[in-house]
Amino acid sequence: MILQIFIFNNMNLFEIINPSFYLLIFILYRTTFNKTSLILLGFLAGIIIDLTSQSYGCHTIAAITVCYMRGLIENYCFGVKANLGKAMLSGVPLFNRITFFLIIILLHQLIYYSLIFFSFNFIDTIILYTLLNSIITFIVIWTITKIFYDIKR
Amino acid sequence: MQSIINSIIKYRNLIIYLLLLFFSFNNLYNKSGLHFSKIETISISIAGFSANIIDDFKSYFDLINENELLKKENLILKKNELENYRNNTIPKSESLFPYTISANVVRNTTNKNRNFILIDKGSNDGVSIDRGVINSLGIIGIINNVSNDYSSIISILNSDLKINAIIERSSTIGSLYWDGYSPKKMILSDIPYSNQIKIGDTIVTGGMSFYFPKGIPIGSISNYKTNITEGYFEIEVSLFNDFSSLNNVYILDKLDNEQINKLISN
Repeated sequence: MILQIFIFNNMNLFEIINPSFYLLIFILYRTTFNKTSLILLGFLAGIIIDLTSQSYGCHTIAAITVCYMRGLIENYCFGVKANLGKAMLSGVPLFNRITFFLIIILLHQLIYYSLIFFSFNFIDTIILYTLLNSIITFIVIWTITKIFYDIKR
Repeated sequence: MQSIINSIIKYRNLIIYLLLLFFSFNNLYNKSGLHFSKIETISISIAGFSANIIDDFKSYFDLINENELLKKENLILKKNELENYRNNTIPKSESLFPYTISANVVRNTTNKNRNFILIDKGSNDGVSIDRGVINSLGIIGIINNVSNDYSSIISILNSDLKINAIIERSSTIGSLYWDGYSPKKMILSDIPYSNQIKIGDTIVTGGMSFYFPKGIPIGSISNYKTNITEGYFEIEVSLFNDFSSLNNVYILDKLDNEQINKLISN
């Protein structure tokens, strides 16, 4: 959260790209933990980012939607009967993990930029911003998880 | 009761998500001007569409009354036109009050503290915000929001609106506002004791605003009382318009607002 507020919110690469690094919290949240707590955590994180970046609720709405849909995304990516635990880090095929990361990031960015622009006239801008920011956010989050997971191992 | 509690526990994640979503949207709507105006525009479009359907049904059964009102309006306009030609006060080609768009009222309220009117013309018809709206009997309000096919008007029966008005006989300037009680009466304030007023004097627009030119009728004085401590009259004005049965309205042209704004800012 601190990295998001002080570094990534001020990045503004090419005036378009602002990686949402705080999504790492929702991606790495252990599936054995309470889902209600995840939604409340998402709300809290969203509110903090909104207050610091003056987006008045866009981050919050995107974050709580991602947290609520996380269960469905997990079932789709890892299968209903998979031993999830720490599936986002190990124990499942690489393709499934990448899909899981990408869906969460894409969904969050799509909701966020749809609310920011809030107009059908900007649909092409929304798609452009969503794709670019999703790619950069994925690269950042994947790199960090890989580095820290390898160090831990 | 037990089954309700069980349902709440079973769907607690969905309930919590919907509550937080509602709270976040409410925050977004109140704090962000862009989202506020977009949502207002959407709500005007939806409200206007549904009100239009109901109004179409109602107006079919009201055609006889509507015809009588139109006849009376025509007579007043013809009378004004003849008088002006006789007095040679305006050329034949110019209209008394410049307007280009006429509209029909699709929804109207008079029972709230802040009343708004919806009309069936929007930005596609050339309507823009901050334009005065009148009908043949007097002023109606000011356009505050516009969607593609509908517009919202702040009615003069709105406690947030103050209109610059004058007593026609003496050209004394005052401020007209609605106190929220009767939809047939408004209060004219800031008229000092030094002025002579009579019951029945006509109140018209003063011309010192961007919305209405001078001389549009509003109402007549029906009562007044003196405010000893402040030295001003508190005048009750009976409106010429019956706001419970508005139909045809006219949207005034903008009165050189940009030029006036430039002069004021310089």
